[in-house]
Amino acid sequence: MTPVERPLSPHLLIYKPQLTSLGSLFHRGTGFALGFGFVPLLWWLVAAAWSDGAYALVQSFWGSWFGQFCFFGWTFSVFYHLLNGIRHLSWDAGFGFELKTLYRTGWTVITASVVLTIAAYIVAYHLRGPL
Amino acid sequence: MSGANVHHWRNQRISALVLIPLTLWFVAAIYAHLGDDHAQFVAWLSRPLPALLMAALVVSAAYHFAVGVREVLVDYVQDPRLHRLSKSAVYLGNLALTLIALAALAKIWLGG
Repeated sequence: MTPVERPLSPHLLIYKPQLTSLGSLFHRGTGFALGFGFVPLLWWLVAAAWSDGAYALVQSFWGSWFGQFCFFGWTFSVFYHLLNGIRHLSWDAGFGFELKTLYRTGWTVITASVVLTIAAYIVAYHLRGPL
Repeated sequence: MSGANVHHWRNQRISALVLIPLTLWFVAAIYAHLGDDHAQFVAWLSRPLPALLMAALVVSAAYHFAVGVREVLVDYVQDPRLHRLSKSAVYLGNLALTLIALAALAKIWLGG
């Protein structure tokens, strides 16, 4: 039997962008970002196990503007993926499918992620000062 | 095949639930230890609880990532050979990175 040529799902380029589809796309996007964020974590752990010099190199990376930028993006991705993941789990349990609820929780997740990211930065800054 | 997908769907949820508390701990821990010098960082990570939580985070996050990427591959990669190859690559890559992370944690735990 020859495989049926099914359309790819979902139709990203045909579908009209809206909060619900963009939120889903963003969940996958941040998921990928966090997966690749595994590499710097690994680098940090290996460097700590390795030597003073290797560890200092990691610290100088986090101290650079690019490192700070990555870390800021990482923090936002964590909060977005975490909160939207909880939203997903509530759908799995059968709650929150009404269109009004979907939009309300969608905007809540986005707003809360931004607020928590900024809050994390402020708290860290107060605890430790600039990196 | 459908059996495997149900299995992955369920495991994705289980790892997600496990990751909720671990992620909250991890964010707080990372922010608290980002400015550590080498000795401070090693001293912290060689304590049993942080070491155990870090190992749990690495394993469950790597697994959650592998299942998540698998889901995206199921949606977008149609060619059967490429599909199998990319799935295996994701799993093996994640397994390798996880083992390296665990080895590093073990070395820190056993005294740097």
